[in-house]
Amino acid sequence: MSFSEPKRYYVERRIAERMTATGALSFASYFARLRTDVDGEVEHFVNAFTVNETYFYREDHQLRCLTTNLLAERLAVKGPSAAIRIWSVPCSTGEEPYSIAIWLLENWPLVDRHEIEIVASDIDTAALERAREGLFGKRALMRLPTEIVASYFTPEGPDAWRILADLRDSVRFTQVNIVKPEETRPNGRFDVVFCRNVLIYFDDTSRRIAAENLYENLEPGGFICLGHTESMSRISPLFEVQRFADAIVYRRPPGEPHG
Amino acid sequence: MPLIRRNATPAAASPPDAAKVLDALAGGTEQERWEAARAAPGIPGAAKALCDAARREASAGVREAMFTALTQIASPESVEQLVPLLRSDDAWLRTAALDALRAMKSLVGPYIPSLLHDANSDVRLLACELARDQPGKESAALLCELLETEQEPNVCASAVEVLAEIGDAEALPALARCEERFRGVSFLEFAIRITADRIRASSRKPRA
Repeated sequence: MSFSEPKRYYVERRIAERMTATGALSFASYFARLRTDVDGEVEHFVNAFTVNETYFYREDHQLRCLTTNLLAERLAVKGPSAAIRIWSVPCSTGEEPYSIAIWLLENWPLVDRHEIEIVASDIDTAALERAREGLFGKRALMRLPTEIVASYFTPEGPDAWRILADLRDSVRFTQVNIVKPEETRPNGRFDVVFCRNVLIYFDDTSRRIAAENLYENLEPGGFICLGHTESMSRISPLFEVQRFADAIVYRRPPGEPHG
Repeated sequence: MPLIRRNATPAAASPPDAAKVLDALAGGTEQERWEAARAAPGIPGAAKALCDAARREASAGVREAMFTALTQIASPESVEQLVPLLRSDDAWLRTAALDALRAMKSLVGPYIPSLLHDANSDVRLLACELARDQPGKESAALLCELLETEQEPNVCASAVEVLAEIGDAEALPALARCEERFRGVSFLEFAIRITADRIRASSRKPRA
């Protein structure tokens, strides 16, 4: 990666985000952390600069949390044979919703006992079209084990792989601006929402509106997963923090009679 | 494959009825008040209805939605309705009103001089926070003026803290006189010393 002088502000902002996320009180302290790669900081640092270039199994600790904790908690409330709805928003070019689908098929022992609906939404229609096409390059697949690539993709040329039609057909893609309730509401309510690395780019008012929209799109007791630099607690008091072994997520309180 | 795709999309809701929204804010169920708060931006008279409703709202979630709506409206009417909430005895309301006003920087500027002279010291203290977000040097001048006469050390401390961020060398004399007036109030003396040192240090920096 290389950034020229006009990108200085962008670079400073990304570093400031990482300093906040790691609790570093000075640049020197953060730089020391980066040089010694404490808690995988190099990857977090690189991720902070490539927000528009996502890849499969990004922040897979949240996917582990999904199959270890979140789905079990939802089923405990909904009943053992209930259908599960998951929303990936924004879904960019599809890596996240397809990752969720593959992760569930590979890692959730109860996957065959439930109907699972994955909805993937983005404001960018070009990104949605690419997501529907399901064609990915080497970088997008870099975190996937080769056997997973072999099982769920077919090669198309030297550096391109297309995800299986069954998977492409199992995800519903919709265009959504998450600050517009008239666009978020028609997608219905979900058990788990993945809304990663987008709220940080909004102003305070838009963040609050988006948080209230997402709240309405969650079932009472449903969970929302944000990006690693984001904190719902700083945006809205509507959600409860839930700490699990693999991830910190937020939950719509089960008992609130509004929303 | 257990993954399913449902293509049916629920029909979009029709535009809210203004009278029903205002009625619901005034006396609906909790769900109706939530929906009304979320539908309120764009409805004439909503800012007053939202502020009136927020004063008696018991649900923290609905209150939050009401203030989000007020922030979204961001009109002179919403500023007029929010300013009196800075005098509320309810700390949550005061803070929520402050946050909403801070999101309306350009609209709130003309109110700051009078708020800095409000009879209520809590309002003067919060007004210092509003000054922090204002562009230009006028806010720093207003805070320096406040430091010359303000009797409440906590209000002075709030102004000093903001000046540490927005003040320049022109604030140093007012800071020194305030320090002299409050000789013996150690926390304020300390805050002024730190702020003055910071301003002097930034004044010495070569300009790019």
